[in-house]
Amino acid sequence: MRTTRRQFLAVTGTSAVLAIGGRLPEFWLRAAAAGESPTKGEKILVVVQLSGGNDGLNTIVPHGDESYYRARPQLAIPRDQVLKIDDFHGFHPSARGLADLLEAGQLAIVQGVGYPDPNRSHFESMDIWHSCFRKDRPRQDGWLGRYLDRAAGTAGGDVPALHVGEEEQPLALAAQRVRVPSVRSLDRFRLQLESGEADAATIQRLVGRERPAASDLLGFVQSSSAAALEAARRVEQARRQYQTDVEYPASGLGQKLRTVAQLIDAGLETRIYYLTLDGFDTHARQAEAHAALLTELSGSMAAFMDDLARHGHAERVLLLGFSEFGRRLEENASAGTDHGAAAPLLLAGQAVRPGLLGTHPSLTDLDQGDLKFHTDFRRVYALLLESWLGCPSAELLGGSYEPIAALA
Amino acid sequence: MPPLELNELDPDWAWSEYEPDADQPWDRRRVAHLYRRAGFAASERELREALQLAPAELIQRLVEPAADETFEAQMRQLVEATLAGGDPARLASVWLYRMLATPDPLREKLTLFWHGHFATSAAKVQDAQLMQRQNAVLRQHALGRFEPLVQEISRDPAMLVYLDSDSNRKSHPNENYARELMELFCLGEGNYTEQDIRQLARCFTGCEVRRRSYRFNQYQHDSGVKTFLGSTGAFGGEEAVRVVIAQPAAARFLVRKLVHYLVCDEPRASDRLIEPLAEEFRQRDLDTGWLVRRVLGSQLFFSTLALGRKIRSPVELAVGLLRALEGSTNVVELSGELGQLGQQLFFPPNVKGWEGGRNWINSSTLLGRANLVEKLLHGSPTRFAGGTLADLAERYEVATSPRFVDWLAELLLAVPLPDDVRRELVEVAEQPGGDRDAQLRRTLHALSTLPEFQLA
Repeated sequence: MRTTRRQFLAVTGTSAVLAIGGRLPEFWLRAAAAGESPTKGEKILVVVQLSGGNDGLNTIVPHGDESYYRARPQLAIPRDQVLKIDDFHGFHPSARGLADLLEAGQLAIVQGVGYPDPNRSHFESMDIWHSCFRKDRPRQDGWLGRYLDRAAGTAGGDVPALHVGEEEQPLALAAQRVRVPSVRSLDRFRLQLESGEADAATIQRLVGRERPAASDLLGFVQSSSAAALEAARRVEQARRQYQTDVEYPASGLGQKLRTVAQLIDAGLETRIYYLTLDGFDTHARQAEAHAALLTELSGSMAAFMDDLARHGHAERVLLLGFSEFGRRLEENASAGTDHGAAAPLLLAGQAVRPGLLGTHPSLTDLDQGDLKFHTDFRRVYALLLESWLGCPSAELLGGSYEPIAALA
Repeated sequence: MPPLELNELDPDWAWSEYEPDADQPWDRRRVAHLYRRAGFAASERELREALQLAPAELIQRLVEPAADETFEAQMRQLVEATLAGGDPARLASVWLYRMLATPDPLREKLTLFWHGHFATSAAKVQDAQLMQRQNAVLRQHALGRFEPLVQEISRDPAMLVYLDSDSNRKSHPNENYARELMELFCLGEGNYTEQDIRQLARCFTGCEVRRRSYRFNQYQHDSGVKTFLGSTGAFGGEEAVRVVIAQPAAARFLVRKLVHYLVCDEPRASDRLIEPLAEEFRQRDLDTGWLVRRVLGSQLFFSTLALGRKIRSPVELAVGLLRALEGSTNVVELSGELGQLGQQLFFPPNVKGWEGGRNWINSSTLLGRANLVEKLLHGSPTRFAGGTLADLAERYEVATSPRFVDWLAELLLAVPLPDDVRRELVEVAEQPGGDRDAQLRRTLHALSTLPEFQLA
């Protein structure tokens, strides 16, 4: 008989804590006081993709640089509105949640992230971020998918990664062997069966029957169907147990992160969650739209981190926020900005080394009007793979990249 | 002898005219296949009629069906009534109704193709009338030459609004339309440079949308000389479109995309397979109707490399199920459900449209697909030829449970069921509980959860 995670922890939990040096983490004490065993759990990565090309210059504002104000007569954030980090950098006023996270020592901002010879097509650039490769070679899997292919089988009965959202599944999660499920909300993630219909067990059996003459495509659909039925069963179990006092923003991202917190707390062994916040392609009338997006992003991130801390998972969850590119320094005639290149990237969690990492890219030494990168995004991936997920990165990234120093 | 690997095929054989033989007989399975790809699905009645015709005759009828003025008049009324309400989401249900009822399903299939190709979302355009106008353009040119279609799209208000090109000034040319014209509409990534984009963008300066109409503002047009894709001239938008589609890459790009749409999702067709057809397509002045007829009538199309080698889109799944069983349902509800599965008509996810193929499939959508069928069978006022599923089975003299399972499989599945699965489905149909209709619906629902059901 398979031992469940909670049963397992009830037996071995104490020695696991002693092994980290005798200091009992707060969540352990609180959980112990509440009379339940803590979910030890492995480290978890939550990816929030900012689709459309986030304007990094109006996210982390270089308020100490006159060139910024010259290039953006309409869109620059006035100095007196910037949430200052130091004499040069500051947050967009709508990014209050990010400022709070930084204050709490839970936010690292990696500046000037990009890659050589930047592509300014959304899809091509996103594909490069997802796959780590350019178009000159076939790209059938993503950097996380390759990790999953390598690591799968160690994660027990739970899905190794979960995509939370209604959009198409990102290439980053595409793997050769592992199928990553997508869920939009826990409620929809179940097989609805009228009474009198074939029951779930019958359906699972029919789906699972061998298909000797199956094409690749049918094989793919079959394994996906089996995974869907199994995941639905697990999530249904997980759903029954969650409570929180944290108020998440009512927005899409807020509610998705709430779902993730719920699954993490339910003890699901899923190690990667992938979410998307879309709408950053602000070619026209950017100011309001971008402010609303940053409000949603920063409010949701702050609530998520707070919720995790209250449930005792903050130390083992890291959130990565990235976009396929930044935007051009100079604003356009429609009070918007066009596709750019290098941009800042966000890492949030108790494990980060808080603060700014690297220098702000120059606003005068540009590449076709765009900021030049100095930190390859694969160096961020290398850190996440090596130090967070515990997996050698060179093979997965198609080359050896020096991990950035963003973890404490 | 049917070939085993798409890209190992002799292109001459692949594109030669289909000739039924022992390996690739003209039978119910292949008629159903043709109907699935050249439309959404064949009903029992259509299957029986079609088998009386030679393949070429049937394809001719599908490509050029008799005009049905009564139906068109009815649709015009429906569209007008919907536009009066002003909600673009409602347009989706009108289009679904059209797909379910049209005597010309191939045109709808291609209109859907172009909708994904020239993807424009009402989420941004926010104007039902503009969306409907674009839809009419796509339908009108669905099987026509490519150039007039691209010219129309290049001054289509919905498209221009969608790509922020509705106010394109010469001092700040908007690169968005120029980029997508080459990357997504005509050539594909890698067939142009960033420099080409900047130059092409200058050609489209002066394009504006004012009061819901296209307008060319000569004072905002950059009339200087542009150089891109190896051509130089003081091009305007119309000439620029001609320069782009005259590229050899254009025919290849379109042929490949249509072949994957009509024949198989994967593997990606090689240049070697595509080029002969692309060459003829160029000679035919990029005539899509010709191309579609050619592909549907080919040996490759009726080979095992095409049968069941596509994954159904949500729209194909729902419309196919209903058309096969002569069904009608609440299309407003249905269009909402399809959005949940990732294909809300008039709301493609981004400029690239729906990626299709394996991208349709994940746990969430698979559960959603099964739940959609469940809802169609129980929650909404679905009728089959005006009656129950049991009535329909009776009409076609499908009397026993084994016959019923086989009949559903023929109508709905592109690949055969394994024997043990078939046997268990018969058991499901025989389970006590409910009347005969309830038993049949239960069987249909179980069948719809199978991996085979996802293939077209």
